[in-house]
Amino acid sequence: MLAEYLPILIFLGVGTGLGLVLIALGFLLGPRRPDAEKLSPYECGFEAFEDSRMKFDVRYYLVAILFILFDLEIAFLFPWAVSLDEIGTFGLVSMLVFLAILVVGFIYEWKKGALEWD
Amino acid sequence: MNTTPVAGAADFALVAPEIFLLCAACAILLIDLWLPQRLRQVTYLLSLVALVVSAVLVAGLPGERMTAFGGTWISDPVAKLLKLVTCGTVAAVFLYSRDYLLARGLFRGEYFVLGLFATLGIFVMVSSGSLLTMYMGIELLALSQYALVAFDRDSPVAAESAMKYFVLGAIASGALLYGISIIYGVTGTFDLDELAAGLDGSAATNVGLLFGLAFLMAGIAFKFGAVPFHMWVPDVYHGAPTSVTLFLGAAPKLAYFALALRVLAEGLGSAVQAWQDMLIVLAVLSLVVGNLVAVAQTNLKRMLAYSTISNVGFILLGILAGTPDGYRAALFYVVTYVIMAVGSFAMIVALSRRGFEADRIDDFRGLAQKSPWFAWMMLFLMVSTAGVPPFVGFFAKLYVLQAIVDVGFVWLAGVAVLFSVVGAFYYLRIVKVMFFDEPAPGLAVSASGSFRFLLSVNALAVLALGLFSGALLDAINRALP
Amino acid sequence: MLITILFYTFAAVLVGAALGVVLSRNTVHSALFLVLAFFTSAALWLLLEAEFLGIVLVLVYVGAVMVLFLFVVMMLDINVAQLREGLTRYAPLGALVALMVIVQIVYVTWVRRLGLTADMAFPSAEPLRGTQGSNTEALGALLYDDYVLPFQLAAVVLLVAIVAAIVLTMRSRPGLKQQDVAKQVAVRKEDRVRLVKLPAEKGP
Repeated sequence: MLAEYLPILIFLGVGTGLGLVLIALGFLLGPRRPDAEKLSPYECGFEAFEDSRMKFDVRYYLVAILFILFDLEIAFLFPWAVSLDEIGTFGLVSMLVFLAILVVGFIYEWKKGALEWD
Repeated sequence: MNTTPVAGAADFALVAPEIFLLCAACAILLIDLWLPQRLRQVTYLLSLVALVVSAVLVAGLPGERMTAFGGTWISDPVAKLLKLVTCGTVAAVFLYSRDYLLARGLFRGEYFVLGLFATLGIFVMVSSGSLLTMYMGIELLALSQYALVAFDRDSPVAAESAMKYFVLGAIASGALLYGISIIYGVTGTFDLDELAAGLDGSAATNVGLLFGLAFLMAGIAFKFGAVPFHMWVPDVYHGAPTSVTLFLGAAPKLAYFALALRVLAEGLGSAVQAWQDMLIVLAVLSLVVGNLVAVAQTNLKRMLAYSTISNVGFILLGILAGTPDGYRAALFYVVTYVIMAVGSFAMIVALSRRGFEADRIDDFRGLAQKSPWFAWMMLFLMVSTAGVPPFVGFFAKLYVLQAIVDVGFVWLAGVAVLFSVVGAFYYLRIVKVMFFDEPAPGLAVSASGSFRFLLSVNALAVLALGLFSGALLDAINRALP
Repeated sequence: MLITILFYTFAAVLVGAALGVVLSRNTVHSALFLVLAFFTSAALWLLLEAEFLGIVLVLVYVGAVMVLFLFVVMMLDINVAQLREGLTRYAPLGALVALMVIVQIVYVTWVRRLGLTADMAFPSAEPLRGTQGSNTEALGALLYDDYVLPFQLAAVVLLVAIVAAIVLTMRSRPGLKQQDVAKQVAVRKEDRVRLVKLPAEKGP
């Protein structure tokens, strides 16, 4: 089975190698004459106005966490789909219950307005 | 090809209370969405009804030990008893919380729904027959607890304590999971019955098993709040809204007791030599640190948190005896402790009002002059927790001490008695403050009639159970024959 | 042979990346090191022929959890210098705990290698590799059937997570003007337009 992944391995190797080679070439061949002015951060030619870090709204976090939860739900669907003919009606019903419980959560978040930005 | 389904009607009959509780929690969550704020009481009442119906369904379960879902679920008398006590405790917590939440604008449906999910988590832990089911129960309970601690979003203290609880809890879950995976790696099974059947005397010397057990034990000790895994307890108890502290301090202890009983006594019973030593260290440290640090506290919630730690030490003493007598004593202890803890925290709720938490010991000054009845109720609770006869706390300590002396740990019993005496000092200090100090300004019991009634019943139960401790002992003997 | 080499390569990268997570000064770099650690652990899982778990690790952890981590890192606007202070103070204790765990792990694997473990009444854990069909299929056959109870509980845990996330982070902002599309579409002429008969003005 692992032989099927050989192309991916080669791809990974070539990708990593190429990336490293290019960086190394730039590092070795490029002229480097740094001075204080060149190394200082700038913003469109001006001095930097503020720190590059800024606070993000907590709402991004809510969207991200809801995404994770439903992402996990999808992850559970995959082996179920693959083995459905083996697990039969019981497996089908079992997944339906699983989804029903999460639909409750979905109704909750919809009605609460967690899916709306404003 | 699986021709026979793993679960039939008989299996589902054994999880009927849990199925009902889940459906009820989901239904309440949805009903609450469409309720206007002035009808929020409906959510509260429905949650209480859900608990009562679950209790009735639990009471209808068969009295003997049965397994379901291929051994991942156990229904036995201990589970039945613990679930009934859980229902009662959570219902009491809901009743106590109502006014507190209303006064602080926290009376939202999610509080009760999360409480119900936590109850479901406790049910699952109590009945789990496999390490996997147990882990799901632990996570269900823990997740609900983290959210409840942070429930007051405008309080920075609550947010901080929730964060601490969450981060440390996640590490503990990681340790627990690592331990479970190693035990699975060594034995090839999650099933507690299979573990018990397959392990023999050599289990206590199997290095792989011991390694997994050490991690498992760290996780259990953290959940219990035993020293040296207790750092979160005072901060979380202090930072959480008092109605949540009420919850944290009571019902989950039943679940963690079940966790220890199922995993250590039932699953890894033949490795008793191995976990006994670990538990001795945890128990002694908990007794020493819990009682000594509690003396120095000026905040009642923190004091009760350290008192919890020392009481956990006692519960662990009962378990480490490794005999049926010891398990029974620990069960007796945990049930009575939960009743006392609910009452003690409810007293803080009773004296709190909008914008004021009566959580300093000074806030109880002179309570006897303002409200003699409640001062006496608090006296009952404190004296019982201290372990003075004829209150039930005395018998709880007595049975545990008997059990460990029977297996030859006389020195352990000595340590326990010594530090109980230290503990009596800080419980009695509350009594002294209430009865012999001048009243604090603005001191008043601002609780509603039902609250007063329940609190009185709660405190008097401590006395009644002490006077008729034989009845409770009978129930426990039947649960753990 | 190739597999052994690959294992050690990936394992070395994994350990390096994990150290990078802990040691790098910049929290964003830590998060990116964690991505690398997840990728290499996924590769290790692939080597064990547990394809599904490897891919789920990339999908869920790299795809979703790491995005969340980066959000949190950016949301908190962490001051790196302050963080370092606490670290150096507790570093010896942390190192001690880490050392103890490492010693334990080495000891256990050493003892197992020597075959000193007492014989248990268990067959050693059966690897799924021998079963017909793929690893994913074998996983599915167990998860939805034998472990139906923990599986449903997983759904409940996810549900509680949804409720908790919304309870803790959702704030309704009062006074916010919102557009209600359904209301806009459902509007009728009678609600908005009023025809007023004005008396004709008299001429001057």
